[in-house]
Amino acid sequence: MSKAILQVRNLTKRFGGLTAVSDLAFEVREGEILGMIGPNGAGKSTTFNLIAGTYSATEGEVQFSGEPVLGLPPHRIAAKGIMRTFQHNRPFGGMPVIENVMVGAHTRFTSTLWSVVAGYSRKEEIEKRRRAEELVDFVGLGDLRDADVTTLSFGQGRLLEIARALAGEPRLILFDEPAAGLTQDELDRLGGIMRGIAARGIAMLLIEHDMHFLLPLAHRVVVLNFGAKIADGLPGEIRADPAVMDAYLGGSHAAA
Amino acid sequence: MSVIARWLGPVLLLSGAAFLLSDYHNDVYRKMLLWVALALGYNFLFGICGQVAFSHFAFYGIGAYSVVILLFQFHLPLPLAIVLGVVICVLVALAVAIPSTRLEGFYLALATLALAQLFVVVLNEGGALTGGTSGIANYRLPDIFGVRIRGPWFTAVIVLLVVGTYAVLWRLDRSWFGRACRAVRDNPEAAAAMGVNVARTKVIAFTLTSALAGIAGMVYAFVDNTVNPPIFGIDNAFLLLFMVIVGGAGRHAGAVIGAVLLFLLPFWLSPVVGHHHVLVFGVLVLAAILLQPRGLIGLFDFAKKPS
Ligand SMILES: Nc1ncnc2c1ncn2[C@@H]1O[C@H](COP(=O)(O)OP(=O)(O)O)[C@@H](O)[C@H]1O
Ligand SMILES: [Mg+2]
Repeated sequence: MSKAILQVRNLTKRFGGLTAVSDLAFEVREGEILGMIGPNGAGKSTTFNLIAGTYSATEGEVQFSGEPVLGLPPHRIAAKGIMRTFQHNRPFGGMPVIENVMVGAHTRFTSTLWSVVAGYSRKEEIEKRRRAEELVDFVGLGDLRDADVTTLSFGQGRLLEIARALAGEPRLILFDEPAAGLTQDELDRLGGIMRGIAARGIAMLLIEHDMHFLLPLAHRVVVLNFGAKIADGLPGEIRADPAVMDAYLGGSHAAA
Repeated sequence: MSVIARWLGPVLLLSGAAFLLSDYHNDVYRKMLLWVALALGYNFLFGICGQVAFSHFAFYGIGAYSVVILLFQFHLPLPLAIVLGVVICVLVALAVAIPSTRLEGFYLALATLALAQLFVVVLNEGGALTGGTSGIANYRLPDIFGVRIRGPWFTAVIVLLVVGTYAVLWRLDRSWFGRACRAVRDNPEAAAAMGVNVARTKVIAFTLTSALAGIAGMVYAFVDNTVNPPIFGIDNAFLLLFMVIVGGAGRHAGAVIGAVLLFLLPFWLSPVVGHHHVLVFGVLVLAAILLQPRGLIGLFDFAKKPS
């Protein structure tokens, strides 16, 4: 068994009187896809935002590669090697596709502001651009490399989010409901891309509402309900767990 | 070689032109070049980094007054006066940027507007140091290595300033820093998730462009050899904003076109409409915002490749 890259321990987040995440513990191992499911309002996105540094935790501990990261601002978390995508695409509207992806590589540039002004950063710029082009091809947006991002379809925008996250050379990517709003064709393609990312040895925490998409893809699954973990196991075990299915479907019905 | 060709060509061409112009036209040409330098910096701050600041012209004034006061009130040598002038601009810029960029955009606009107003008040109330309402006059650029720089040669210095400003901003724009600035402008939360330190990026962009405005101001101080409060009033801060919007915010070429056009427009219009040229500006800005948000440079792109 490979070792844990991300360890979450007794993570708790309260919004006023509401406990959105309650004493949560789980780990993501190197190179694996960890699925996280749960009905609407279960605390998935909150967990995600706590790890990404967008929210500050009430209590708990998060270690990435053995280093505590809880409480760091989002840009520091990204620099450590945790990149994320957004549930609702957030492209940089004033830049073409390739430039958007290059923003993702921001933390990987080593040239200083002075060397930029002195004109010594050209080599690095070219090198990073070539890498960004490879990533644009990898997610299948090669034909749209120089396109205005505002002209992309929703599904293409989702692929751009992934290429942008990959550009940061992360060791862990957080995906918040990447399947939401995609067509069946796009879902198949997304599944393929995620397997490709896993094959590169990059771990993923995949928050997903759509079990049909998640279960075949995830190596292990954590189930949340009312902010707490109610199950943790292989996709087959989760599928067979009546309590999980009950809570999940019950929550789903209540939300619908 | 290509670097030399890229920047030396324009320098020679633009300064060569100065030697063909009369004294009067040299004066107009110098002021136009200085507006171009200002618009380039302001375009980086407003158009590329998305910061709505009204202090850019005030920093031009801070640079101009600093160098004059340091040279002629404190009798410092020129190189020291220039360095100290830049330090003053950087310190004032940091003092404004650090608290206000941490807040939402609106507060930067307010803080910089306040700074621009305060600057004029300080100039008027500065007593012997600033020369009060009449400012400081009757000085001239100290000799450099025993050489007196004047006429078209002084214009050539301004050309160097403009091309240098352009080169610095052009390189910054095409780097991780320029992309970070655009990312902060387009979506600060996504920028942070990509590892961009949003507050730091804003502070650096503000301080850097303010310092460039200050340096342009130091050169300006020797164009008319006089500095006084009315020159640095708030209306020029808005003119700068108009130049960038009309030319096309976010594009260096747009800033150049906007600055040249709006600077020269009064010369062409005044004989026709007198002081009502301000009205024409208003109409132009409205037309740009409503019809062509990408400015004149956007029109140019459109003409180049119709689709
Ligand atoms: N910023 C917030 N302020 C207050 N309550 C919040 C906030 N974000 C989420 N919540 C609440 O926390 C709970 C968990 O929400 P969330 O993490 O978005 O669930 P999920 O992503 O699993 O659907 C919900 O009850 C939600 O209303
Ligand atoms: Mg959610």
